[in-house]
Amino acid sequence: MVIADDEPSMRLLVHATIESDDYTVVEAGDGTQAWAMIQQHKPSLVLLDVQMPGKSGLEVLQLVKADPALAATRVILLTAKAQESDIETGLIAGADFYLTKPFSPLDLLTRVEEALQLA
Amino acid sequence: MRLSRHGWSLRQYMAGFMAVLLIVAAAAEIAVRGVAEQGARQAAESDASFAARAGAAEIANELALLRKTTDGLAANPQAAVVVTSASASCNLTFAGGMLFTAGHLDIVGSDGSVKCSSLTHPSGLVYGAAPWLSASLNTPVTAAPYLDPVTGRISAVVASPLRGIGTILGVVDLAAVGPNLASTLGGGRKLEFLVTTTDTHTVLISSLQPARWVGTKLADASIANPSAPTERHGIDGTSRLYARSAVASTTWMLSAGADKAAALAASDRFASLSLAIILGGVGLMLVVIFIVYRRIAEPVRRLSLVMRGTTPGSAADAVGGRGPTEVTGLALDYDNLMSSVKQELADRLTSQYQAMVSERNYRMLFESHPQPMWLYDVESHAILKVNDAAVEEYGYSRDEFLLMTIKDLSRPQDVPKFLELMATTPSFERSGPWPHILKDGSTIQVLVTSHAIRFGEHDARFVLAENLTESRRLELELSQAQARADSSAELGRAKDEMLSVVSHEMRTPLASIVGFTELLVTRDVAPAQRKQYLGVMLQEGLRLTALITDFLDLRLIDRGHKSMRFGPADMGALIKRAVGLAGEAGAAVELRLPEDLPLVSVDSDSILRVLTNLLSNARKYSPDGGNVVVGAGAADGMLEVYVQDHGLGIPSEALSQVFDKFYRVEAADRRSIKGTGLGLAISKNIVEVHGGKVGVRSEGIGKGSLFYFTVPLTQELALSGDVLVVEDDPGFAQLLEAELTGQGLSSIWAADAETAERLMANVRAVVLDLVLPGLSGEALLERLRAGLGSATPVVVVTSKDLDIAASLALQKAGVTAVLRKGSDTAATTASLLAATLHRELVAS
Repeated sequence: MVIADDEPSMRLLVHATIESDDYTVVEAGDGTQAWAMIQQHKPSLVLLDVQMPGKSGLEVLQLVKADPALAATRVILLTAKAQESDIETGLIAGADFYLTKPFSPLDLLTRVEEALQLA
Repeated sequence: MRLSRHGWSLRQYMAGFMAVLLIVAAAAEIAVRGVAEQGARQAAESDASFAARAGAAEIANELALLRKTTDGLAANPQAAVVVTSASASCNLTFAGGMLFTAGHLDIVGSDGSVKCSSLTHPSGLVYGAAPWLSASLNTPVTAAPYLDPVTGRISAVVASPLRGIGTILGVVDLAAVGPNLASTLGGGRKLEFLVTTTDTHTVLISSLQPARWVGTKLADASIANPSAPTERHGIDGTSRLYARSAVASTTWMLSAGADKAAALAASDRFASLSLAIILGGVGLMLVVIFIVYRRIAEPVRRLSLVMRGTTPGSAADAVGGRGPTEVTGLALDYDNLMSSVKQELADRLTSQYQAMVSERNYRMLFESHPQPMWLYDVESHAILKVNDAAVEEYGYSRDEFLLMTIKDLSRPQDVPKFLELMATTPSFERSGPWPHILKDGSTIQVLVTSHAIRFGEHDARFVLAENLTESRRLELELSQAQARADSSAELGRAKDEMLSVVSHEMRTPLASIVGFTELLVTRDVAPAQRKQYLGVMLQEGLRLTALITDFLDLRLIDRGHKSMRFGPADMGALIKRAVGLAGEAGAAVELRLPEDLPLVSVDSDSILRVLTNLLSNARKYSPDGGNVVVGAGAADGMLEVYVQDHGLGIPSEALSQVFDKFYRVEAADRRSIKGTGLGLAISKNIVEVHGGKVGVRSEGIGKGSLFYFTVPLTQELALSGDVLVVEDDPGFAQLLEAELTGQGLSSIWAADAETAERLMANVRAVVLDLVLPGLSGEALLERLRAGLGSATPVVVVTSKDLDIAASLALQKAGVTAVLRKGSDTAATTASLLAATLHRELVAS
């Protein structure tokens, strides 16, 4: 599982929320780093912040979807953007779920579990 | 050109003309008289000359006739018979001539005896003693004078020889010749004829008194032989003009004299006649002049009297149809001209009066209009006139207003924009809202209406400033915002973007806080983790707070709603305070401040914020340490402050954007550095409100950066007054100043002790707050006493609870009073100081 967010406090929150003995979690501080980690670890699930320096969450999402080797990887987008058009963009790009900040950690956990079942 | 009135009047011209006429007439008379006399004299001379020649010719002619007669007789053979034969009969007749009227013919024998005579007697040796006898027997003889023994008269003898035996005599009586000459040739001219022998000066013929003069000898040769023509007295003593002529074949000389008096009498008559003619002419001229004067000069004079205003009424009436058409025409023209001039004048006076009334109305409208109005000069921007509402609204006195320019009313950053509007659009309606700064430093929003007018010599603008009330302002702002949004999709997008940025910036910390809270609420969290979570929450909460504060501040400053109070401030002290606030952590700060930095005119709190922001940025973006340099220097009425670091630097493409809202340089090296992206935008706004500029220089990534800003220096004028108010609370300071103004005291304000120390020498009294940023009130008091002695009254106003020791210390320092801040402290302070300073004035 890869968590990508430029805000350390957000990474901590997400990390703390989904912390489990069932899977390992790695953190990335920007899009480029996240993409490198995804390619390296081929994770089951990626939690992407949309607004990140380097590569944006949407760019990373497209790369994941375009890579056949990552067909099994589920993606959840996290963003402060809350407009309708943003949600549509995210879903069209192929994200499995979409959460708007501020989000409920329990909601996040539910979504993570749902995504893992899809995998 | 203005004509002089010193010329001659028509009357004087007339008089002069008459005088000249008389002088000319007199000269003409004298000339005529001279010419006539000359002519008479010449005529007399020519008469005399003619008479002399004619008389001489006539005498010669008569003598020749007589000779012819005697020669004829001598040739007659009968004559010899008469001489030789005593009994021979003879008959002689003396025919006489025009001149020689009396005389006789004689046939005389050689012994002088008369043989035959035209007279009946005599006989005998009548001519025996005659001196010419013997000669006359053989040659023709003419002799005179000869006393004729026959007649006893002085005579002339013409003798023709008779073959030696005798002689034929013609004897003429000379006494009769003169009168005959006079009657034949003298005419009415009273000519005198005088014939003399040239040698003996014997008178032969005289037309005057012949009985007396003929035969006499003249003593004076000039009488007998004058050089002709000449003037002299005749033998009768009368003055005559003489001419002479020689009588042919004799030695006789004839003089003819014209009577001078008679000749001149004729010329006198002529001269008298000419004088009469001249006088008649002059008289005629005078009549003509009088008529002309009556016909032209008099109407002109009347016209002139009317024109000069001496005579009332119309010119045409005064002239009254008399005089030539030119003058009556002139009078009519003058009347027409005057009536149109009067009409024009009346119109002008009416319009002037109306203009005056309307000007007074406008003045009243201007003075008593409830909204602020003023006039300012387009060139200098100086305010020329203000109304009561402006004085009331803005807080400046009328005199202060007149020393200001319109630039002093606007916020410094608005000035260029307003000047441009003013230069491009002379007249506009309700432009704005423009923020205007009042005397107390607060800002009001006004709608400005401007019109170009002339004010005296000035090319001026009239301005009406409508102060927007809060509700009206909001309404206007809304409509303007709507208008902006409606009219510009670009602006709308910008607003969307702004909203999106703000929401993103706020949602991130909010997400942390909410998320961690939920975790803490729903899970059992280990104490260590709990502490970690709470720490993150606090941090994010603070971040959110800072963000909201910054954002609201930015909005307030943007719209000119943040209240700022400009006052003199010591920039060095502000910088030191900002450095102190930044704390010890992070890069070391080096100060490069000149000793004598001039005071600046700023809102101290705002500038402190700018300094803090720049310092904090400098430290934040110098993660590897490296010193930060803060320096300042004055130039061109502004003070420039710079903050230089040796940290991460700014890429050149980002230099133009660093002051934009929410802009943050995107680079890996500074990703971990927190910030709202509003600090520089706020700093830029604050500096621009002060009329200054901000800027940044950086050589690029890793080369560090230098931020600088400028603020205006304090005007010299604003640095002195009666009372120095040392108070860090702008609101209370303003209240104090208002109360002092009410007491007739001027004041200057210092927000901290450092600034106050620089100003304390310029005032007569001090109001001092004890709790101040930086240097404390007590410390300032000490320096004040050390610097100025104990004479300057000091009133301490504080909210601090003073213990006895502190109060005593203040009393020792010679404080006039210690007042606790309360509702009426300001008023009490002002009246206390007014009384103290007044006493001082009286005492001095």
